[in-house]
Amino acid sequence: MTPLDWTVLVLTLAGIIAYGLYKSRTTHNLDGYFLSNRSMHWGLILLSIMGTQASAITFISAPGQAYTDGMRFVQYYFGLPLAMIVVAAFFVPVFRKLKVYTAYEFLETRFDVKTRALTSFLFLLQRGLSTGISVFAPSIILSSLLGWNIYWTNLFMGGLLIIYTMTGGAKAVAYTQQLQLIIIFIGMFLAAYMVVHMLPQGIDFTDALHVSGKLGKLNVITTGVKEGKFNWSDQYNLFSGIIGGFFLALSYFGTDQSQVGRYLTASSVKESRLGLLINGLVKVPMQFLILLVGALVFTFYQFNKAPVFFNDIQLTSINLVYKDSVNDVSRQYETLNLLKQKTVYDYSVARKQANDAAAEKHITSLRLLQHQADSLRSKLKSWITKSKGDSNDTNYIFLRFVVDYLPAGLVGLLIAIIFLASWGSIAAALNSLSSSTVVDFHRRFSRHKISAEKEYNISKWWTLAWGIFCIVIAMFTYNIGNSLIEAVNVLGSLFYGVILGVFLVAFFFKRIKNGNAVFVAALVTEVAVLAIFALIKTEYLKLGFLWLNPIGAIGVILVSLIFNSVLTKKNNCGPLLQFSQ
Amino acid sequence: MNDEKDKIPFFKNWQQWYVFEILFLILLIGLFFLFTNYFS
Repeated sequence: MTPLDWTVLVLTLAGIIAYGLYKSRTTHNLDGYFLSNRSMHWGLILLSIMGTQASAITFISAPGQAYTDGMRFVQYYFGLPLAMIVVAAFFVPVFRKLKVYTAYEFLETRFDVKTRALTSFLFLLQRGLSTGISVFAPSIILSSLLGWNIYWTNLFMGGLLIIYTMTGGAKAVAYTQQLQLIIIFIGMFLAAYMVVHMLPQGIDFTDALHVSGKLGKLNVITTGVKEGKFNWSDQYNLFSGIIGGFFLALSYFGTDQSQVGRYLTASSVKESRLGLLINGLVKVPMQFLILLVGALVFTFYQFNKAPVFFNDIQLTSINLVYKDSVNDVSRQYETLNLLKQKTVYDYSVARKQANDAAAEKHITSLRLLQHQADSLRSKLKSWITKSKGDSNDTNYIFLRFVVDYLPAGLVGLLIAIIFLASWGSIAAALNSLSSSTVVDFHRRFSRHKISAEKEYNISKWWTLAWGIFCIVIAMFTYNIGNSLIEAVNVLGSLFYGVILGVFLVAFFFKRIKNGNAVFVAALVTEVAVLAIFALIKTEYLKLGFLWLNPIGAIGVILVSLIFNSVLTKKNNCGPLLQFSQ
Repeated sequence: MNDEKDKIPFFKNWQQWYVFEILFLILLIGLFFLFTNYFS
């Protein structure tokens, strides 16, 4: 990084912290600290919801995902608009009416205190761990690419935002997210512009799309059906996206306090609903555009020299054992690169001249060359796996492009947006972890009445404590293998389905009134979901992780119905057979 | 503050908002389908 990049990076980050502190003034009670005195406009709610969901991983991983697997990842978000409708129609009015601080408070009103405590605990477990990964994910990539010390990077990634999150609570979180998102969109737009701008003369945006599309990277819609059979282990297709994505988004927006806490800050039901519904309209196109940047980067590398593997550290680590083989593969890859560059140019010229036969001939050659290039990459990846390294370089593709090709200043800005995106989601997570701890446990189980000022101070210290916890998790996270965006989503899928199931029973199965039935159903289903996940990991079962969400949710509903009828019958038998409440 | 009396922007009631949300999603999926086929 040049001095100009460092200046841009430091000024942007310092600006956000200063702005966060400036917006930190709030009333010294829980209403002010966690709910911003329920004063927010829908526009701020929208940006806060988006800023919470879009972490650094979104901006690093998604373009890399498009580069390697194409744009079909966007289908994962197809269930989101439908989930927004359910949350806006059913969840928001109930949360508002009960004036809750956390989503889990509602479960005590509906069932009992232990169901509330269990769901809140599952949330704290899942959100605490995944926030730790959210600190580590961008840090490891930046430290590998720029040679930064991983521990210091973790500390800056997860530590600096604590300053304004601890002081200003939900209000500071929302206002900084607003500014962060604006900077992020500017940065991503500039990056996309530069990719197209740096293509060879005569090759424009449409040509780039044709190249990317012909090589299978613009596969936005896929059905998951192969040879007449639906592939259940296929992660991203239209059906898993709509059904699995719907359940995942419903649990995330309806039951995850890091999101519920954002729209509870709205001044009215109308403002919460508008923020959520407009998020449903803009999220899919936004994700499409981020993935399109990745597809364009792929085209860029057809015209320019592409690294055989995007994570240099892993490549260096296998050099000791496989030095000659790696050199050999690199040489072959370079030769293929040169051939590809010529072929892709010939294809673009033929297509522009409407010479279909020539274009078809060139594209066939290009596909063959791409196939050979992929085989070489696979060979290299197998050596990395054998050496117990991380053979997945998806997360390094976009930033490697940024560092290698973008002009000074813009590199600093794009590194800054990785920090900002990260801070936006981590800040909301810390605020929600603190609110759930204070409201669902500390305040609920305290034997003495606590003053508003003291509750405010306790909340601040819990924000700091969770911040430290997440940094510690990040320090101990090492090589979680798969794409990091997936790691977070897999972790979410393990718990979200069950939590959602409890809420669905609460909202839509009014005849289930027995708290014991729901509590036991949640425990049983959680164990079942973890068992299914173990079967998937040990390859006894082939199933995409998104399906764990509907399994968890439907499981809780069915088991609750069974337990409820059994316990109701037992209760009718007489007091001796009753479960203790 | 009275939530019930708040005027809903763009549409007459929330149901129309929900229908619009679904139609917009269908439109997007349709456009993506055309996009995929056109460039593949």
